[in-house]
Amino acid sequence: MLGKGGKRKFDEHEDGLEGKVVSPTDGPSKVSYTLQRQTIFNISLMKLYNHRPLTEPSLQKTVLINNMLRRIQEELKQEGSLRPVFVTASQPADPLSDNFREAQPAFSHLASQPLLPTDFVSTTPLESCLTPASLLEDDTFCTSPTVQHDGPTKPPPPALQPVKDSFSSALDEIEELCPAPTSAEAVAAETAADDSKDHPSESNVQKPEGLPESRTAESKLMESLPGNFEITTSTGFLTDLTLDDILFADIDTSMYDFDPCTSATGAASKMAPVSADELLKTLAPYSSQPVTPNQPFKMDLTELDHIMEVLVGS
Amino acid sequence: FLGAGGGNDIQWCFSQVKGAVDDDVAEADIISTVEFNHSGELLATGDKGGRVVIFQQEQENKTQSHSRGEYNVYSTFQSHEPEFDYLKSLEIEEKINKIRWLPQKNAAQFLLSTNDKTIKLWKISERDKRPEGYNLKEEDGRYRDPTTVTTLRVPVFRPMDLMVEASPRRIFANAHTYHINSISINSDYETYLSADDLRINLWHLEITDRSFNIVDIKPANMEELTEVITAAEFHPNSCNTFVYSSSKGTIRLCDMRASALCDRHSKLFEEPEDPSNRSFFSEIISSISDVKFSHSGRYMMTRDYLSVKIWDLNMENRPVETYQVHEYLRSKLCSLYENDCIFDKFECCWNGSDRQERLFSTEPFLSSFPPLCSIVMTGSYNNFFRMFDRNTKRDITLEASRENNKPRTVLKPRKVCASGKRKKDEISVDSLDFNKKILHTAWHPKENIIAVATTNNLYIFQDKMN
Repeated sequence: MLGKGGKRKFDEHEDGLEGKVVSPTDGPSKVSYTLQRQTIFNISLMKLYNHRPLTEPSLQKTVLINNMLRRIQEELKQEGSLRPVFVTASQPADPLSDNFREAQPAFSHLASQPLLPTDFVSTTPLESCLTPASLLEDDTFCTSPTVQHDGPTKPPPPALQPVKDSFSSALDEIEELCPAPTSAEAVAAETAADDSKDHPSESNVQKPEGLPESRTAESKLMESLPGNFEITTSTGFLTDLTLDDILFADIDTSMYDFDPCTSATGAASKMAPVSADELLKTLAPYSSQPVTPNQPFKMDLTELDHIMEVLVGS
Repeated sequence: FLGAGGGNDIQWCFSQVKGAVDDDVAEADIISTVEFNHSGELLATGDKGGRVVIFQQEQENKTQSHSRGEYNVYSTFQSHEPEFDYLKSLEIEEKINKIRWLPQKNAAQFLLSTNDKTIKLWKISERDKRPEGYNLKEEDGRYRDPTTVTTLRVPVFRPMDLMVEASPRRIFANAHTYHINSISINSDYETYLSADDLRINLWHLEITDRSFNIVDIKPANMEELTEVITAAEFHPNSCNTFVYSSSKGTIRLCDMRASALCDRHSKLFEEPEDPSNRSFFSEIISSISDVKFSHSGRYMMTRDYLSVKIWDLNMENRPVETYQVHEYLRSKLCSLYENDCIFDKFECCWNGSDRQERLFSTEPFLSSFPPLCSIVMTGSYNNFFRMFDRNTKRDITLEASRENNKPRTVLKPRKVCASGKRKKDEISVDSLDFNKKILHTAWHPKENIIAVATTNNLYIFQDKMN
């Protein structure tokens, strides 16, 4: 009559998305781990931002979700590059008092905040670029539940690599253009160097062979983008979490809709040399002043907007 | 299980169910707390609409020894009303988070009830007499014309139908910035603590305009906040000792004699993480939703998302016993995170303790003298609840459902099939209804009677008496 409670054993058939950490010993497991992490990241953000109750949200829940996001962010940082993280703007003293009113307008609120980029010359540019990506958010959150259930059968992240890498390398170029002139070779060399640096010591992610490029790309995106915005989340806890993370997290899954530019392997190296010249040619029509590859230039709102459109909207 | 007839299992039978029958649950009727008083004669429930309903047990009819007294409605009152915080433009919910009874000192009963922000002391008293024969008033209350008063008489008390009145005697307000999750009355019966997410305050029951902060874990920079207080309780015997649990799965024991502000714990109870079970959700499922001392105070029980743990106060580095409530959910944590079920706060309770009395009673209840606090109970999903016998290490899963509502019919144990082929009468994990959760359960302090709250119904089960 009375049952002895049996401890549930790990079921091989279980989707890697659920429960235990998938220890990625091979490509597909690593994909599912990254996918799982991405899904959880998106879900967590959705919980923080889309929640609009009439009463105050549970502090415990908010803290736990924040901790989750922080942990994932830490993991991404550790896995990724060794670039220094930009200095962040300081938060208002007690963001709890700003709870709700700022939660939803987080993005627009940030749009009015100046950036504090270290390598970037201009101070305002990216907010407007953020807007298009934030619109993608709706698409993302529709797809994430299906991502969760389909597991690793979703289009593989390697499809993302070429675009991300080209964008990040484009930004690298922009950065480099500002302090010092750079060349296509330098960019290519850097991208290649980043790839080779990719040996994370993170215990959950054991071998880099599955998706070295995407990890590199993710981390590059996080750190190479100008400015780490302070997000006034519903708790304002996330000092280090940048809007970039959210956006590029969104872009990750939204990119499933785009045709992969190249195949998984060798994609990064092929796409890397979007030379500064090419980039500037794109920008030239929108810039009021003549730009040369070796000349530092200031990007304004529209120019970066257009970069985004070129890379994302094409 | 230990029970009647010595060594036989307790056989739980349906006794009563209170609440609406419809499947359509009115939000205000959602039960948010259940608590027996110290004698077990009264059973209080609080709901999301801010109401308290108290049931009273009928006196046992000695000729009808096959069942214990039934619980009937004794008093209903509106304890808390919704409020609006104009500063933050947010509503303050009227939902009753906790009820705690005071021990009875005179004819009236007293209880503390709390919502997110305000604690109230209610006096529940009976009135069964009323004065009649006023000189200036008619019986219905209308004033008599003074010119018609020709004689004087002394009003006398005459019996009336029993009326139970609840009146708020103290209101303890404005001491909590964050949401109150626990209240606990001290063993001195003069003071009590109230805990919110970041602070614990000490009150005197007589004094409402002052409370002392005894724990404060709010960091100077709120962005550094990673842990909150989830529950707190005074030690049942030692009036200077209390514990509080956290969202990171730790329990801290504090001694109020050590300092005014008990930010430094005397003991820290924490079990090291099992690396083989590590996942993204490890922290969330380790968050403790309830903590309860055993009656002796030697042990305490904690409930986290998947398990119940028994701690010996003398051993900080790990619990002495761990019981898995619904381990089959471990593979579903991502879905449960998405639908927020992973944040559900299950409570837990010990069985009643005063079995010593029965050794000397005339009823042949027990042939052996059982250890106290031998059974723990907690809720799960699909209207299932679980009991664990600490001595035999056996457990049982029962269901609170109207389908089993024939009195004196023993409840059939339920089983969840985690994986593989589902046997007859088993329920597969995917068929579980996660909207039917049993968060609140209570055990009569002296008898084998339990109160189990589903979303909007209160079930009372009793031990089958021979």
